[in-house]
Amino acid sequence: MAVKFFGQFLVEKGIVSREAILSAIDLQELKNLKFGETAVSMGYITQADINRAHKAQFSKDMKLGDILLEEGILSEKQLQEIITRQKETHLYIGEALVLVGSLTSEMLQQHLKEFKLDQAPYLSDRIELPAGVANGNLWEMTADLTYKMITRVLGLQFRTEPCRMVTTLESNFMMAAMDLSGDAEARYILSVSAGAQKMVAKAILHEESVEHESAEILEDTVMEFINVVCGNVVAKASQMGKVVNINPPATIRPPAAGLPVPQGHIALCFPIHVGEDEKMELLLLMRQ
Amino acid sequence: MKKVLVVDDSLSVGRQLEKIINDSGDFTCVGHAKNGAEAIKMNHTENPDIICMDMNMPGMDGLTALRSLTVLDKEVQVVMVTSLGGAGDKFTEALRLGAKNVISKPFEADTVLQTLRKL
Repeated sequence: MAVKFFGQFLVEKGIVSREAILSAIDLQELKNLKFGETAVSMGYITQADINRAHKAQFSKDMKLGDILLEEGILSEKQLQEIITRQKETHLYIGEALVLVGSLTSEMLQQHLKEFKLDQAPYLSDRIELPAGVANGNLWEMTADLTYKMITRVLGLQFRTEPCRMVTTLESNFMMAAMDLSGDAEARYILSVSAGAQKMVAKAILHEESVEHESAEILEDTVMEFINVVCGNVVAKASQMGKVVNINPPATIRPPAAGLPVPQGHIALCFPIHVGEDEKMELLLLMRQ
Repeated sequence: MKKVLVVDDSLSVGRQLEKIINDSGDFTCVGHAKNGAEAIKMNHTENPDIICMDMNMPGMDGLTALRSLTVLDKEVQVVMVTSLGGAGDKFTEALRLGAKNVISKPFEADTVLQTLRKL
């Protein structure tokens, strides 16, 4: 019940052993050439070009290929040829498992089908963001995964409103926040009304009633929910080729007037209505 | 009955895992550590057979604790229970550091018990 990569799916199901997956990953690392290595093997650049470009990366937040392109060492056509070669020769984990003798080709096809079924609920629907938001596809995926987790993990029916940009984070009963960093940075915040918090708690604790639970436990369940969502965002981002890291969650108790969005930042608000009149909001706060 | 130590900064996850483990009939939960440093201390005092540990915790995180635990205690078997397992690099790192398996959050009781029983 989470975003996974195929190797993890196989180990978790007990289809292949820990040792087998590690051998397959070692084989992948041996066979799958990095961008620079591929470019050298195609005769387009030399190791000295890579070393120079790596030095330039200290001062420029750019991919190796983009630096080589900027410096005129590679042409756009060559860059695309290298990327295509990398894709065509990439050894996938399933193929590597066949090569190390842990799966047959027939088993691989069968388990790939099962894996696709398992992951189908996490395939993205389109969510529209206001124009001009950097890393838009990542934040669309984040909102989409949040909605999917509300359905899958919390088992709640809900309706959403379109995303809008806000200048104040409206007050609510509580907010749980996690910082996302790496290739894209934002603070992920889920604000919940008192009733919505109890709905989250019931689902996370698998309890019919949470009336006797302490405020600390109730808050903790919202933090755990966003921890699960953000962990899955990291996994999905990694499938999109982006490195995203997370810190442990924290709670925010907003003042009644709400929290103004700090200067130099923007905030995206995704209103989520649950039940009759309970409300959640997904808020993504990021530098402009 | 095998002894299991739960390591997670979340009270609610700790409680869920404790219940799953104690209701299983095969395992008993000997404690709930809130971060990696507490896990190392409790591994020493409680001497568990198995540790179920989160990755993303304040203070000492799960992978750092795993690195220490596998050096300090060659017997204990560590299973990571994490929402980060789906990120391939974290999954691989955990296995390379000696974790026996990685369970994804949110988890189901059956998955947790099947994984523990296979150890």
